[in-house]
Amino acid sequence: MVADQRSMVQEVLAPPAISGRHLVKNYGPHRALAGVDIDVRRGEAVAIVGPSGSGKSTLLHVLAGIVPADAGEVCLAGSRIDELSEARRSELRRSEFGFVFQQGMLVDELTAEENVALPMLLGGTSRAEAMQAARYWLDRLGLAGRHRSMPGELSGGQAQRVAIARALAHRPTVVFADEPTGQLDSRTGAEIMDVLLEICAETNAAILVVTHDQELASRATRSIRIRDGRIESAVLTA
Amino acid sequence: MNALSIAFRVLRVDRRTRTSAFLTAVGVAVATSLVLLLLGLPYAVDAREERVAWQNKAEQTLVDQRQDAPALIKISTDRFGDQEIGRLDVALTGKGRLDLPPGVTRLPGPGESLVSPALAELIDKQPASSLGERFGKVVGYIGSAGLRHDDQLFALVGQRVEDMGEDALPISDFTTSAYYTDYDLELLAGVGLVVLLVPSLVLVASAARLTATRRERRLAAFRLAGATPQQVMAMVVAELAIPTVVGVVLGAAVNPLVRMWASEVPWDGSEWHPSDLAAPTELVVGAVVCLPLLVIGAAVFGLRRVVITPLGAMQRTPTKPLSWLRVLALPAALAVFVVAAQLGAGNMVVLGALATLIGSATVVGPWVTAAVGRFLVKAWRGPAGLLAGRRLHTDPKAAYRASSGVVLAVFVGAMALTLLPTLESTDFGPPEPTFAPSTLRLNATADQADKVVERIDDRLTRYGQQERAVRLDNAVVNDANGAPYPAYIGDCKEAAPLFGLSPQVCLDQPAVYGVGGTPVSLDAEYDQSTFPLPKGVATADLPRPVVLVDRELVPEGFKATASLVAVATSDTDTDLIRTAMVAGSAGAEVFSDVDMVASGTDRLDELRRITAIGIVIAGLLAGCSAAIATAGAVMDRRRTFGALIAAGTQVPVLARTLRVEAALPAIIATVGAGVTGTIVGVVLVSLIENAPAVVLTPWLLAPVVVGVIVAVLAGSVCGPALRRVRQEPLSDE
Repeated sequence: MVADQRSMVQEVLAPPAISGRHLVKNYGPHRALAGVDIDVRRGEAVAIVGPSGSGKSTLLHVLAGIVPADAGEVCLAGSRIDELSEARRSELRRSEFGFVFQQGMLVDELTAEENVALPMLLGGTSRAEAMQAARYWLDRLGLAGRHRSMPGELSGGQAQRVAIARALAHRPTVVFADEPTGQLDSRTGAEIMDVLLEICAETNAAILVVTHDQELASRATRSIRIRDGRIESAVLTA
Repeated sequence: MNALSIAFRVLRVDRRTRTSAFLTAVGVAVATSLVLLLLGLPYAVDAREERVAWQNKAEQTLVDQRQDAPALIKISTDRFGDQEIGRLDVALTGKGRLDLPPGVTRLPGPGESLVSPALAELIDKQPASSLGERFGKVVGYIGSAGLRHDDQLFALVGQRVEDMGEDALPISDFTTSAYYTDYDLELLAGVGLVVLLVPSLVLVASAARLTATRRERRLAAFRLAGATPQQVMAMVVAELAIPTVVGVVLGAAVNPLVRMWASEVPWDGSEWHPSDLAAPTELVVGAVVCLPLLVIGAAVFGLRRVVITPLGAMQRTPTKPLSWLRVLALPAALAVFVVAAQLGAGNMVVLGALATLIGSATVVGPWVTAAVGRFLVKAWRGPAGLLAGRRLHTDPKAAYRASSGVVLAVFVGAMALTLLPTLESTDFGPPEPTFAPSTLRLNATADQADKVVERIDDRLTRYGQQERAVRLDNAVVNDANGAPYPAYIGDCKEAAPLFGLSPQVCLDQPAVYGVGGTPVSLDAEYDQSTFPLPKGVATADLPRPVVLVDRELVPEGFKATASLVAVATSDTDTDLIRTAMVAGSAGAEVFSDVDMVASGTDRLDELRRITAIGIVIAGLLAGCSAAIATAGAVMDRRRTFGALIAAGTQVPVLARTLRVEAALPAIIATVGAGVTGTIVGVVLVSLIENAPAVVLTPWLLAPVVVGVIVAVLAGSVCGPALRRVRQEPLSDE
């Protein structure tokens, strides 16, 4: 009991897995982010919702270091990452972050396991190690029989599971998911969301999910609504 | 809104379509200019030969009676160093009228000459004794209308009638028309048309493919919106017609520049006038009409599935594995070729068999591509090998198509480069040489021979040379069995150096050399009269296949009709001695075994040069196709690569991987084609009667060089293409 409490206290005192302070981003005259503050802790799943053009994806990209902010700061486990060089940020994205996009964005000519292994291979991991990790994650995501399937032979939900396996294979600290169920029917979308949340909970990763779908957002720990580049509301959902 | 206006609108708003249209236009322009050049080649020889018909002995209009001819001429080939000089000696008899040949404003009198500008320049740079004195006083120039090309070395030399000798041709006029077919060049043009047209069309196809996916989607949308198949077809035609027509016009416009460049490539010993290479108008029109039809037809065929089933256009259909039976096409075609060649079938049959052999590459190629892909998929060690292997394995036909241009060029090139050096190793000189290779000779009538020797010796003395001209008369020695031996009459000690022998091989007494049996009599060449040789005449053998009769043994009354005047030379004094001989003989053709070998190897040099140029051009075209295809492949997968870059994959790492992915198939294709072409070349050499040993020279590395060119060009676009992807890594297309 005491140990549990100590653990909770440590978790509260520990810096957030990823945080953004006073984030501003402009695209020409259009202000995509207008001073956003956000913290996401390990094991926490945060859904970002809002209408089209509200700045959801921009916030995700700025936090992930894909797009530089015009002002504000981004920290990973308390250390600023927005001041790092592009090469260093790429390295961080490769080692600390995982990405799931609206479409699986799989390479058509590669099998499911090769698609999962590809980022690791590009990062210098050996063939044996990368393929072993790929098979493990495909099995974890319920694709035990589809290792050698080509993307064209997979359903939309299966392809997205492959994409999730690819994002998780290197055990990231933070997973960024941009409309991961946008191309799927509602039942498959719900299944995918559950798988994503379940795995992240197991691996104690922080997860940020951008979605239009309120139903899916309600499955996250916290839901943040954005409008015109500002946080309109934040709701604890679980 | 009609199809053409839709096409223009798409071009206006879509940058990628504009890029594709630009590249398609460039590809069509290259194809057009090459096709026009190659179509003109067979006619180029005609044009050139007609211009220089007056320089050609075989084309002259001869007069039966020498005394009635307005002029006597002698046509010969002279040499300076390794350069060939054409020469026409003319003596006006004063009878009748003689029209001037093209490019000549007046005929030279005795001791005068008109020379081509290039020869005049060469004469100016050399001491007179090395070259200039061969032609007398230069009194004018020959214009380009009478020359093979502007750099031709040619002299029109005036002579006195009495110096022209019996072998001079009496002519009524200089001929100005010629009909000449160069079968070698026609064959080269035919093979070149295939070898260069295929990579050109692959280039066009690659450019068109850049937007194929997007176009398929757009057309499918039109079909879904109710457009009829005919309307969709019209849109495709309109979209491709714009860059194709622009390309054809551009290609026809730059063709003169291509002709100018090609005119520098020598054939049959000389370069060309750019106008020689112009194709006849009807062929130009035919090509300009057919090429766009070919390109548009191919594109319409490629998009037929959109027309039939708009919904199916974007679905991926699995490709069937290729049958291993395909691999048998090459040995089967080779067998057909071997049988055709060995049965001595007609030229067209052998050419057809050769075309089948070349064509078999397109059947075997995709199967080999798939096999290589299968191997890479199993054996890959890094991401590049994995991506390349999967691409080759997934759609081997498409992967082969991208390399087919260079495969054909390298296959044909490797075959040629195996054959040419082997043929080059063949000795083009006489099979059993009598004279030392550098001994210069000229033919003279027996009546004039002494005078010619005297004149040559005078000049040699003047030039400070130790060598002297030696007269050898042609004769026939008969042995006791009646067997005739072609022989020379001369002094053995004088003649021995001409044969590359020491005078010490000669006996101290007059003798007959080189007759196996007992020599009994002597005939003059072309004369049936027989003169007995002294009984018990001394005989000996010479270490050369020559029969020589010491002049002291010549029976009284024997009169030779034909003679040879020869001078032994060393490497340093050849040009001086040649000048003395040409000037001393009033323009007789001076020759040596070295010259015979040189003219034999000149054609091989030309063939080798043209082969190398063809391979490099095909390699460049294939490289451009590969680069475009690579850019297309990157852009087709831009969302995936954008995602990988967003997820932290470094652009240089990804670019390196994609460069290898693009280069690997190109290198495998060229090396594979090179090896196969070499093997086929070796087989072809073995078909040659008394085949020389196969010579494999460093030229065979040319396919590797081409492979590297293609690979570098193919990979060069990965970096820029990825940087473009990176600018908007996650944007929609």
